[in-house]
Amino acid sequence: MTPDNAEFRKAILSADPRLSKYNPLSRILFYDDFDEGVNGWCELVGNHTGDLDDIREIARDFRPPQLSTCTFFDIGTHGSVEGTYSLKLATRPKHGHVAIAIKRLTYGRRGLVQFETYFSFKAEQTFGADPSHGEWDGNIAPSEKQFGDITFSNDICDGDTGTRYMGAVRYLNTDTEGNLAHEWMYKTSVQPTTKMERQGITAPNQDFHTVRPDDWQSIPGGHQPLCFNETASKVNWHYLRWTFDTDRQHMVELQCNGLTLDLSGIAVPVYAQEYRGIPNLLNFLVDVRTHADVRNFLYLDSVLVSVDW
Amino acid sequence: MLRRSFTAVLEKNSTFAGDFATEPYEAGWALEARWFVRVLEIAGEQTELVLRSQVSPDGLFWCEDGGQPMHMTSVGLDSRAVREFGSWLRLDARLSGNNPRVKVMIYLALKG
Repeated sequence: MTPDNAEFRKAILSADPRLSKYNPLSRILFYDDFDEGVNGWCELVGNHTGDLDDIREIARDFRPPQLSTCTFFDIGTHGSVEGTYSLKLATRPKHGHVAIAIKRLTYGRRGLVQFETYFSFKAEQTFGADPSHGEWDGNIAPSEKQFGDITFSNDICDGDTGTRYMGAVRYLNTDTEGNLAHEWMYKTSVQPTTKMERQGITAPNQDFHTVRPDDWQSIPGGHQPLCFNETASKVNWHYLRWTFDTDRQHMVELQCNGLTLDLSGIAVPVYAQEYRGIPNLLNFLVDVRTHADVRNFLYLDSVLVSVDW
Repeated sequence: MLRRSFTAVLEKNSTFAGDFATEPYEAGWALEARWFVRVLEIAGEQTELVLRSQVSPDGLFWCEDGGQPMHMTSVGLDSRAVREFGSWLRLDARLSGNNPRVKVMIYLALKG
């Protein structure tokens, strides 16, 4: 792109109120405004051949996404950043339950891929004080301790070699015991697949993304309290930008509001097995997990994915 | 612009031995909805599954929408349409009989 073209493109993006809040690479692969529908985001389901009882336990109940108005019992409808609707993922009210939505593409060329979104997160309103949360001071939301974690991930398979890998970044709001963590994390093992489980390579996993539940490490400099905002019904939106490189099979950078983290030194686990039937796979996943018997919600106002090819 | 539509699978080969309700589902964008309930297996004596559509202002507190319930006593598929339901829907299921057990698929088809 010549300098003149770059300036012209920048001016067009800056003048568009939908796109000017994003920072796309040279080609916008898709822009999903959830006022327009689900835009291809659907429930992830484990592999099967028609008999749903064959789906491994951890991958059979990731819940259908919803088009939400962010409506609450105290104020009614909140709406989204622009318009009324956002994409909502909702867990069941069961400790450890995870809801996952996926959007499936394939890549035309290798190179940089950047996922951007404006997101918010809430635990469902509960009634009656929880003694384990201590005295309410009028500021810190007890329900913040009822929100578990959010994970942004991908699933990529090289078309020539069958090499498969999945990058992931997790915002750990609380640990599994409900203690506030406020940490961005990366994973250190592959996500066990149906193939691995059926061939006895791994035992059934408890954390969908990793072989063992504790196969996660803090991203250096990744401590970041986000704006939960005092009650279960106040929705504040956060900007997120996550870049990865399908040429180098690496993550590049994660930005959430004012915090930018260099991911280039973090190894992305690669599968030891070859995977066939999924050449040039380029899947995007978002999920929310509860660490309490309380529904957890992840809301996406919109999503923009761009590439440099 | 074509109408928007979306089908949610709210229960997938789920087995129940007592009363249950589906997870709350937001559908404020849709003008019409239709439940589909597919009973895959049914066991026990005089087992009956009665399903009623419920509505809510907030996804927390629920009441019936006044429509006709589905009565299912055998393997098969049944359906009910719902309109003017506000923003939230769920299906309340009552299971009766002697040692009752059902295995179901539950779909919510939305259009608006």
